[in-house]
Amino acid sequence: MKPGRKNNLTGYLFIAPWLIGFFVFTFVPFLQSIYLSFTRYNIITPPKWVGFANYQMLLTQDELFWKSALVTVKFAVIHVPLAVVVGVCLALLLNREVKGIAAYRTIFFLPSIVPTVATSVVFLWILNPTTGLINNLLRNFGIQGPAWLNDPFWAFWALVIMSLWGVGGSMVIYLAGLKDIPIHLYEAAIIDGASPAKRLRHVTLPMLSPVIFFNLVMGVIGAFQYFTQAFVMTPNGGPQDSTLFYSLYLFNRAWKYYDMGYASAMAWILFLIVVTLTAIVFRSQKKWVHYG
Amino acid sequence: MVKNLKWVAFLLLALGFGAFVFSQKPPSQRKYPDRIEVRFWHRWGGEWAKVVADIAERYNQSQTKYEVVPLSIPGSGADSKLTLGIIGGNPPDVMSMWNGAIPSLASNGLLTPLEEVMPPEDQTRFMNDSYPVIRDSGRFDGKTYGVTIGSDLYALYVNEEHLKELGLNVDDFPKTLEGVCELGNRLNKTDANGNLTRLGFLLNSFSFVAYNFGPGFYDPVSDSLSLNTAENLRALEFITEERRKIGFERVTRFQAGLNTGSDTGGWPFITGDLSITIDGQWRVEEIRKYRPDMKYRVIPIPPPATNGRAMGGTISGNFMVIPTSAKQKEGAWDFIRFWSGFADKEASARCFNDGGWLPLFPDLVETKTFQAWLKQGPEFQGFIDILSSENCLPMPPVPYLQFLNDQIGRAEDQAVRGTLSPKAALEKLRYTVAEEQRKRKSLGYEE
Repeated sequence: MKPGRKNNLTGYLFIAPWLIGFFVFTFVPFLQSIYLSFTRYNIITPPKWVGFANYQMLLTQDELFWKSALVTVKFAVIHVPLAVVVGVCLALLLNREVKGIAAYRTIFFLPSIVPTVATSVVFLWILNPTTGLINNLLRNFGIQGPAWLNDPFWAFWALVIMSLWGVGGSMVIYLAGLKDIPIHLYEAAIIDGASPAKRLRHVTLPMLSPVIFFNLVMGVIGAFQYFTQAFVMTPNGGPQDSTLFYSLYLFNRAWKYYDMGYASAMAWILFLIVVTLTAIVFRSQKKWVHYG
Repeated sequence: MVKNLKWVAFLLLALGFGAFVFSQKPPSQRKYPDRIEVRFWHRWGGEWAKVVADIAERYNQSQTKYEVVPLSIPGSGADSKLTLGIIGGNPPDVMSMWNGAIPSLASNGLLTPLEEVMPPEDQTRFMNDSYPVIRDSGRFDGKTYGVTIGSDLYALYVNEEHLKELGLNVDDFPKTLEGVCELGNRLNKTDANGNLTRLGFLLNSFSFVAYNFGPGFYDPVSDSLSLNTAENLRALEFITEERRKIGFERVTRFQAGLNTGSDTGGWPFITGDLSITIDGQWRVEEIRKYRPDMKYRVIPIPPPATNGRAMGGTISGNFMVIPTSAKQKEGAWDFIRFWSGFADKEASARCFNDGGWLPLFPDLVETKTFQAWLKQGPEFQGFIDILSSENCLPMPPVPYLQFLNDQIGRAEDQAVRGTLSPKAALEKLRYTVAEEQRKRKSLGYEE
């Protein structure tokens, strides 16, 4: 066997456990779900072919489908840019050489490694309108805080605010990106008389744009799959369906009402939306992402 | 060389540790390994799980053939865990399931019709001797899929001490719903900012209260749902108006600060945060355990002043089901017999008393065990009285019951928040459910 081929084989053998797992638990179900989306399927009895009925009903008859899609799009539009801005700002702050910076970085990163369910339960307490931490703080300033998860307006915003809790994960990536920016670019900018704001605008952000691009793509995908926090904190979709995220409605259709065919159709629509948006973001990169 | 040796030593140590861990057998849950195992899943946790484990152990001691091994599967996804267990080929032999999930599970072919495992004498006793409302709550499409091991019913809990503060006696308690709401408003307490510090009474739970106004959400004569009816509209308007009087926001904030624990003695009625409240019969046992000195009374929710239905309500609770692919159906039924009252009535009564649950058969109430227990918590009798009422009806027997219940809850939420008028909320409920029915029909479902 040629050495190159042998090396490839060795490589494939090493990643074989993952490949097998991916094939069996992700790729095959992924393909199967295409078929299931054209069937009536309740897990137990064999799927029954219904053609485009699931898609037709989703798009023409199901009010909750549109509601959940709207909630999710709204969340993505608000959360993704907000997470990018907060993540970059935090990374810029934590990129400074001050005493104890390692401790600060750890503090900001820690929330992102706490399990989501545990975080959600803690936030249930924090957001309690009567005994919660936030409203107690507001009370000290004479402000009566909102009813948070019991209020259709604030329930959504509570989840948006909470989603920034885990921004430490992307912050670390931005921080690594900042460290990769060659120092001579800043030196040249200083010699040319660039102010800190101009250095940020013309050096830091362009050089950081590949990292921002990566986090943007991951953020868009993550926002459209937003589920756990909504499921733990508002399992029925919150007051007036204000937190009925697409994935939450999909889960309820699949596991509460045993509508697996319908849920598969929902999953495929979600997949197409995410693929389309990701493609748009990829196409846009020529205009704003600078590689070196 | 030394470095390599260190690596080898580390590897050997890691392998040795791994071998030790994997060679350990998990602690056996079997106490009687020679007997036939009956795997029992239930949804109780905490203190309740101990009660259930005790009942299983008493069953195990009562005979020598089977061993029931209980497993707590708490949480809202119990029915999906059961489904996964069935798909994975490893279902329990018997499971305690919320009755609202039974039609959906049964219509999907997941549950065994219990007539297949019930001997004729048990079938006769079940059909003739049980409370009809409890019996029918476990039936779907003419077959029995669930037999109760503890049904739940709701009534008013009234704090006598709070009434005394107003110079009132509980014996003179209002006979109409309007009277109760008026009394509740007098019992409210607020702080300097107008925030509630004690809630006199809040009328809620449209899905239950509707039975005090009319026949609920199902018409057995036409075998169809009856959602947008004049009676249901009256009920929803009543609930909405009462909530408006107290203030939606005020109530929401007050409720958010209350303890919702169900087995810790922190129930807001016990702590004095609620004066009159609608709650289930299991609270009688909770009060007996945690506040035996509490002076309170259980009173059926009175009907409205005009065109109401006295002693109305519906049943929910825990029903034993046997999955279609269960391996030990005979053992499962034997355990159900023991708990539900087909076998030793005294032993069965003790099971129901342990959890403060409503029994399947009226004759269990007559047992010495039940009567002795009733003496310690006489307020439980109020719930037993409602059980016999012709206005206490089962939930609609439709396979999409979970969907229906979600939509009824949604209609109530929309009405009390003022997003929709009660009339519009009910019309929307009717429309949404009709759409679901249409969707099911076009997908080839029978119903």
